[in-house]
Amino acid sequence: MSNSKLQKRLWDAVTSLKLTLVCLAMLMVLVVACTLSQVRLGTLGAVDAYIHSFIVYWDVPGSQWSVPVFPGGALVGLVLTVNLIAAQAKRLEFRFSKAGLWVVHAGLILLFAGEFVTGLFQVEMQLPIEQGETRNYLESPRDVELALVDTTASDHDDSYAVPESRLEAGRSVAIPGTPITFKVHRYLRNAELLRTGPGAPPSGATAGIGPDVALRALAAASNDDTVEVRAALVEPIADGKSYGTWLVSTGLGAPQSFVHAGRSYALSMRSARRYLPYSLTLKKFSHDVYPGTDIPKNFSSLVHVSNKSLGEERDVLIFMNRPLRYAGKAFYQASFGKGDTLSILQVVENPGWLLPYISCVLVGAGLMLHFALSLGRSVRRQRVAVGGLT
Amino acid sequence: MQTTPRLILTALLLAACQREEVTHFRIAKPTQATPPPASAPAPMAADLTAVPGMEPAKPTNALAWTLPAGWTQAVAGGMRYATIKPATGEVDVTVVVLPGTAGGELANVNRWRGQLGVAPLDDSSAQSARSLVQTKTGPFALYDFQSDGAKPSRMIAARAVFDGNTWFFKMLGEPRAVGSARTDFIHLLESLHVE
Repeated sequence: MSNSKLQKRLWDAVTSLKLTLVCLAMLMVLVVACTLSQVRLGTLGAVDAYIHSFIVYWDVPGSQWSVPVFPGGALVGLVLTVNLIAAQAKRLEFRFSKAGLWVVHAGLILLFAGEFVTGLFQVEMQLPIEQGETRNYLESPRDVELALVDTTASDHDDSYAVPESRLEAGRSVAIPGTPITFKVHRYLRNAELLRTGPGAPPSGATAGIGPDVALRALAAASNDDTVEVRAALVEPIADGKSYGTWLVSTGLGAPQSFVHAGRSYALSMRSARRYLPYSLTLKKFSHDVYPGTDIPKNFSSLVHVSNKSLGEERDVLIFMNRPLRYAGKAFYQASFGKGDTLSILQVVENPGWLLPYISCVLVGAGLMLHFALSLGRSVRRQRVAVGGLT
Repeated sequence: MQTTPRLILTALLLAACQREEVTHFRIAKPTQATPPPASAPAPMAADLTAVPGMEPAKPTNALAWTLPAGWTQAVAGGMRYATIKPATGEVDVTVVVLPGTAGGELANVNRWRGQLGVAPLDDSSAQSARSLVQTKTGPFALYDFQSDGAKPSRMIAARAVFDGNTWFFKMLGEPRAVGSARTDFIHLLESLHVE
């Protein structure tokens, strides 16, 4: 087969309507499979496995093998986007009469692109804050970090955070700016902490609270409401000296500490933090109900935003459908607790948040333009026909 | 023509290979709490929207208590929530918090007995040895064990699951000293409340 024929066949395949239908059918299959697997994997796990992945894998029972069985949502979406762009380039004529259809297609492509941007770059964090409290960091609802805080200075702390992805058994993680290197002996994504006793041997830690604690590995939680307890056994080594093996876990209450070369270090595993160049103070959380009932009428958080670098000091009221949009982040009222004194704000950073709105406007405007142009052509044809009769 | 696809492919590969790095932040130590600035006027109620389906977060309340006269308390770290010292005698009171059920009640009862060097109990015997102390946060199971021998010890321990965590209050020491501190220990338990 000649090169030109091969290119033509490939071009026909990429631009075919059949490919569009196959992709749409695959997306339907993925949505159904994703919905059914939420029982086993939880919502986020299922969406990651079926929608955000390029390939869907099947774990062979009783083995370490994973077999690719179906294209994932990311791959199907990518193929569909290429298909739509190519089909448009092939079939749509570059004439003003087709301008509406061009705009509609551009809007659809932008919608797909927006989903990719969201999937790749959106970050969701939380800001739990009590009345009167000031915070300048966000916490991840899912990811954790190994935190080493140098508490020696009287006026500040130096906080070093090792991301969860670096906590693999057998690996060493050097902490830049300090003489400390962590050797990771064990990492458990979900664990139960117990007191040691018959049937519950010590965790393997040799320093800190760990020797008095037993560690039991648990299966990953499939229920979205279940909070997993992460745990790891790490060995801080500084200037060739080992400080023993420490148990760190989100299930332990307070940081543990050790001293090296006159500097005090606090060690803990905590929700992954993202520090902000500004701070928020919760002045008041309101939980209003309709008079004489327990039916919620309103939840709102009155916060004070303080950004000293910009000289900005102002109060903002956050409530449902009225988030605070500040410095590329949106702070939504999400939850509450502690007898209505704790407010939990969901914080979303999505560089592509405007794309769905723009695509909807483009699709709507394109359809209206196409309708107006078609109407104009129809009116002109009718006039010509009526003129011919008279 | 082939340059652009190569550049895109290279960028994707670099993005895939990128690993998360250790981060560093310098944070000012918290100073004395300053009262929040004066409130801005709240919007009219008509501007506000109801929030159907919004659920309260899982409570993360901690317990607090009133120390009996003469007792002292030390700040603790790790799972040991607090260390309490009665007014007199060689007695230690510890408060430990563990997530979940921490192995269940019988396992902990026998762990305590193991510390004293006495034989473990079966479920029905443990039930017989159990009494309850009522607190504002719910009942605590109370056990009182004693070992004999060259160095006898007595342990009074209370346990309850509260807010998804198991709280242990344990008093251990020389039998006579523990016995004289027992009433105050029970009063401490009865004073438990949400912080």
